[in-house]
Amino acid sequence: MKSFSFFPEQPNRRTFLKMTAGAGAALAIGNIPAFGINPEKNDALNIAIVGCGAQGRVLLEACMKIPNIRFVAVCDIWDYAREYARRFLKKAGHEPNAYTDIEDMLSKEKNLDGVLVAVPDFWHAPHTNMCLKAGINVYCEKMMSNTIAGARSMVETMKSTGKLLQIGHQRRSNPRYLVTLNRLIKEANITGRITAANAQWNRAVADDLGWPKNAALPAETLQKYGFKDMHVFRNWRWFREYGGGPLSDLGAHQIDIFNWFFGTAPTNVIGNGGVDYYTTHEWFDQAMVVYEYQTAQGVARAFYQVLTTTSAGGGYFEEFMGVDGTIKISENPNITSIFREARAPSWEPFIRQKLLAESIDTSAPKSSAKVDARETAALAAYKLPIVLNKAIHQPHLENFFAAIRGEAKLNCPADEAFASEIAVFKAIEAVDTKKLVTLTPEEAHV
Amino acid sequence: MNNNPKSPLLSAETLGFFVLRGWLGVRALLTGIEKFSGTKTVTEALLGADGQPDPSGAMVEVDKKVYGLSHYHAIPESFQTSFSNQPLMPDFLMKPFCWALGPLLIILGLTLLLGIKTRLSLAVQGVLYIMLTSGFILINQDAGIAWLGIHIVLIALALKWEKYNRLTITRS
Repeated sequence: MKSFSFFPEQPNRRTFLKMTAGAGAALAIGNIPAFGINPEKNDALNIAIVGCGAQGRVLLEACMKIPNIRFVAVCDIWDYAREYARRFLKKAGHEPNAYTDIEDMLSKEKNLDGVLVAVPDFWHAPHTNMCLKAGINVYCEKMMSNTIAGARSMVETMKSTGKLLQIGHQRRSNPRYLVTLNRLIKEANITGRITAANAQWNRAVADDLGWPKNAALPAETLQKYGFKDMHVFRNWRWFREYGGGPLSDLGAHQIDIFNWFFGTAPTNVIGNGGVDYYTTHEWFDQAMVVYEYQTAQGVARAFYQVLTTTSAGGGYFEEFMGVDGTIKISENPNITSIFREARAPSWEPFIRQKLLAESIDTSAPKSSAKVDARETAALAAYKLPIVLNKAIHQPHLENFFAAIRGEAKLNCPADEAFASEIAVFKAIEAVDTKKLVTLTPEEAHV
Repeated sequence: MNNNPKSPLLSAETLGFFVLRGWLGVRALLTGIEKFSGTKTVTEALLGADGQPDPSGAMVEVDKKVYGLSHYHAIPESFQTSFSNQPLMPDFLMKPFCWALGPLLIILGLTLLLGIKTRLSLAVQGVLYIMLTSGFILINQDAGIAWLGIHIVLIALALKWEKYNRLTITRS
C-alpha cells in the first residue's frame, strides 16, 4: 500500500498549475464534493459497498468527505437500493460497477482494498468471511452476526487471513467519547470510582417499512437470499431468523460502551422484556437488563433499557456514575452533561484545560431545594466542549481507511467487538429466559 | 484647557467632582461599547498536558467575546419582548430609542471623560436614565429601577457640584 498523502509528491510550478486547473474545472462541473475526493488519484483506495439500504446509505454519505477513496463497486440484491447507491456515487464522481451477488462481485473486482458490509445481520458472517478469505479488508456493521457461532467465525477468519476487520461501533472513533474515556475518566478521574452505569435508547412507535409496489423483488430472488417475503426483507430487524431485535440493533452500540469504558466484559446479566405492543414482530419491543461488571476498581452495575414504544425519557445516552461525578454522554451533544458531586475536588483545572465547560448551572448545590432530609442536593452540571464537526460514522471509517494504509490501528477490531457481541447475546438470553445468565471470560474471547 | 479660577486644582471639591465625572463617564462609555459586544464560537484543537494536540484529533468549541456593529443590541432580548407587549411603548418610539442608545452612551462617556460640555452631557445622561427607568417601571423591573435611581442621584450631585469642574476641554 502506498503511503497516504494529499499531494503524492511535492508539486513543481507546472504540476501545481495542472492540479489547480483540474480542481477548478472539477468544481465548475460540480460533480466532486468540496472536500477534495479525487477518485482519479493513483493512491486512492478501491472500495466496494455490499448492502445499500438505510445503513449503507449512512456509510456512503459519511464517506463523501473522506479524501482518496474510490468506490469501484456497489452490491445489493435489491436493484432499487443498488441503483440509488450507484447514482449517488456517480454524482460524487465515482464510477462504481453494480452487482446483485457478492460472489460475482468478488470474482470480477480484483483490486479491492476494502469492503463495507451493511447487509442484514444474518448475512454479515458469510459475506465478511468471504471478503476476508479473498484477501480484502472489511468494515462490517454491528451486530457482527445474528449468532454467536457466526460472530466467532468472523474473528477466526480475521485472525487466519491477517486482514483487517473493523466492526461498526462508531462511537469508538468519536473524539467526544475518546476524550471522555481517556482524558476525563482515566487521566483526570473526575468520576472517582464508577459504581453504576445507565444507558437507554427510547424510540417512538413506528410503522413497518414498506416498498414501492413496482420495486418488489421476485419471490425466487427473496427465497435465494433467505427471505420469506418482501415484508420480512424490508423489516428483517424484527424477525429472529435474521437479526437480534432492538437489544442488538440499538443496544449493541451502548452495551459496547459499557464494556469499553469498564475495560472488561460483564460477568452476568438479568433481564425482562417482551413483545408488548407490536403484533407483527417476533422480537421484543421493550427490554430492560442489568449487567454486573467486575472492574479494576470493584463491582459496578449497569442498567440498559431499549423501548421502541415511546420516545420519552430523554432519548439515547450512556451514563457513568461515580462517587465524585457522573458523565452522561450521547452521540447527540445536546443530551451530554457532566455532573459534579459536592464532595469532589475542584474541577477548575479541567475547565482551564478545556476538557469541561461551565454550563447549565455550576452554582453550589442548594440544600434549600431538598424536600426530604435524606435527599442529596441537585448536582452542578457542566458541558463537554468537545465537538465532532463530521458525520458520526466518518471518524470510524477514516480509522478503517487509515488502518488499511498502515497509518493507524483499528479502533474496534472484531476480537474486541466480540466481547460486546457476547454481552448482547447473553442479555437476549436473559430476557428470553427471565433468569440470571452468566458470562465467563473464556466465552468473551475467541 | 478650561481652568476654573474659583477652584484650586487639588482641592477636595475639585478632585471629588473629577472622580464623580470620571465614574459617570466610564459607566456610560463602557456600557455603550458593551452594546456592540457578542460571542463568537471558535473551534480549536484540544491540547494535552504536553501542549500537543490530543491524539484523538478532538476539537473543542471555545466562546470568545468579540465587538462589532453586527453584534449591536440596545437592550437584552428578554426585555425587548417585554417592551414590545407594552401599549405605552409603541414601536415608532422604541426603534429610534434602541438605535440611538448605544452610540449616545459612547458619546456621553467620551464628552464626560474629556470634559466637553459637561453640564449638557450630565443633563442628557440624566434624561436618558429617566427614559430607561420609565421602561423598567412598565415591565416591573424593580431592581433595575433602583439601580438607575442611584445613577440619577449621582448625576444630580454632579450637576450641583459642576462649579468644581476642572481639567476640561470646553467650558460647561
